[in-house]
Amino acid sequence: MSGATLYSVSAALSALLLGAVASILPAPVNAWLTSPDVVTGLAVLIFSAILLAASMINTIMLIWFERKMLGRFMDRRGAMHVGYAGLLQNFADGLKLFRKNTFRPREADSLGFYAGPTAYMVTSMILFGVLPISTGWSSGALPLSLLLALAIFSFAPLFIFVSAWSSNNKYSLIGGMRSAAQMIAYEVPILLAVVAVVIVAGSFDLNVIVNEQQNYWFWAPLIVALIVFVAGMLAEMERIPFDLPEAEAELVEGWNTEYGGMLFAFFMLADYVRALIGSILVVLLFLGGWTMPSWVPSVATSFPLAGIFWFMIKTYLVFGLFIWIRASLPRVRTDQLLRVGWNRMIPLALLSIVLAAVVVTVRCLPLVGCVPPLGG
Amino acid sequence: MAASPAKENPTNPVTGVVRPLATAAKQFTKSLFRPSTIVYPYERLEDPTFRGKVAVAAGRPIGVGDVWDNYRGVHALNIATCISCNLCAFSCPDICIEMVTVAGGDPKHPKKCPQIDYGKCSYCGFCSDACPEGCLTMTTRYELSVTKRAEMVYPPERLHEVFQRKLPMNPIRLERPANEDNILLDAPLCIGCNACARDCPTKCITMLDVAKPTPKPGEKLPRRIWKEPVVNDSDCVRCGTCISVCPKECLFWGTHK
Repeated sequence: MSGATLYSVSAALSALLLGAVASILPAPVNAWLTSPDVVTGLAVLIFSAILLAASMINTIMLIWFERKMLGRFMDRRGAMHVGYAGLLQNFADGLKLFRKNTFRPREADSLGFYAGPTAYMVTSMILFGVLPISTGWSSGALPLSLLLALAIFSFAPLFIFVSAWSSNNKYSLIGGMRSAAQMIAYEVPILLAVVAVVIVAGSFDLNVIVNEQQNYWFWAPLIVALIVFVAGMLAEMERIPFDLPEAEAELVEGWNTEYGGMLFAFFMLADYVRALIGSILVVLLFLGGWTMPSWVPSVATSFPLAGIFWFMIKTYLVFGLFIWIRASLPRVRTDQLLRVGWNRMIPLALLSIVLAAVVVTVRCLPLVGCVPPLGG
Repeated sequence: MAASPAKENPTNPVTGVVRPLATAAKQFTKSLFRPSTIVYPYERLEDPTFRGKVAVAAGRPIGVGDVWDNYRGVHALNIATCISCNLCAFSCPDICIEMVTVAGGDPKHPKKCPQIDYGKCSYCGFCSDACPEGCLTMTTRYELSVTKRAEMVYPPERLHEVFQRKLPMNPIRLERPANEDNILLDAPLCIGCNACARDCPTKCITMLDVAKPTPKPGEKLPRRIWKEPVVNDSDCVRCGTCISVCPKECLFWGTHK
């Protein structure tokens, strides 16, 4: 596990495949096929295909998880019939959406209408290439991977607004405007909360941040930052109670009112991709990533792919928290949303920065104990 | 106790966030271990395991056959005792009963039994009320889901299978709509053709000889068989088959003087 990374595995696979193909082809072609550039190119393709498949399957399982858990919250059972306990229900739904006709309003702007959901989907999927799921997951160290992830994450309002505007529908436009206002308002507290993490970890590199949590997870000393970050992520993911942009009771379906078929599926899937990424970020920044506390027996942490296993467990637990919040809280009004964002979350985020500074200086906290100095 | 607007504020950290979360968690835990619903096609309230768990308001457990005794479900037909009187089809308000030929009749006059189209049936029960022999009854079976529309039509053989399964029957057979009338004969019109006696499902009509009158001079006697039907009123089920088959329309409903 330690030596092999996902990229090295796909590079080996690529070399193997190309070598096999080249062995049955004539001379000039097989020399070209086995050249390093081609091998690297195919390796990147395989790498992205593995990432894509893993993230898509996880996203679809996340939807299943939400349907089942939300069902229990409502004293229902959720999907039950397709596959074991409804596991394949979302694949059936996806197939249905895939087969449906997609049409566009006559007055809609074609470029924005089609490019919006595509770009929204693509920018959401790119994030999986940035976030490390385990040691050896990402190909190389990105010194600013946290900043890069948050930057890509904040593309979304632009594409939502583009597609909402292009739809030429009042509900879409209102939803898009709300979405833009909400996402911009909550970018600020999220970034401030992340600053607290960065102060304690001393790096923007997600790998370093996780390794800093080897001995203590950041959630306890940075509990205020965690609350701000989770609330901000709820707003960024447009989940209840902050789902104003697609408030079904008022706005039909918000900014994706005019979308049907696969374009709607893009939005739906990208929403859950972002939910998954939000959960992953919470795990990476506050819950120790793939590391486990030292009191956990080594049997539980040393089997193959243990890092990914524990990481996904934590991710799904965090997403379960989001579902719990969704099942409990009503949707807030726009003014309440913005008041919470600007009046409460930003002071709390600033407070968390102060707390982070205290943690870095004192290195000892009641109930948490003393933490090793930076870099140790 | 009216809650003040401040208590309903969703941005209040305690009443707006913590308390709803606790309520939802309680509900989730309860539903996780003791869900209120059952997975219907796979689990049933009829299962004995669920008997004790679900109770109606009266405290009586719901269990096997615990639809009401007079529940009107799928019909059961005893082909052996069916007399092909057509009363069920006649009484059906939805015209969903058709008399179709079943095996075992005599080839000239095939035996006909009701075939029911459940796509049309309204489960009113008039047919089982009308059945003079009690061979068409309604059971308490209520599951009729099918995948093809043609499967909604139950031929007599299938209704007979329901009968053979000995499902709980609806025991309440209402009094038939009173038909105190009898079959009367307008004797001068009768030609003695035997059609009524032949088609009578209960064989309660016998053809008796009548005296052939002596023609007066110059009078021409009608061409007929010198027999007349006599109806045994105690056996008659008032199906009216004889009236409908009579070629001369000489049979009619009426009361004896």
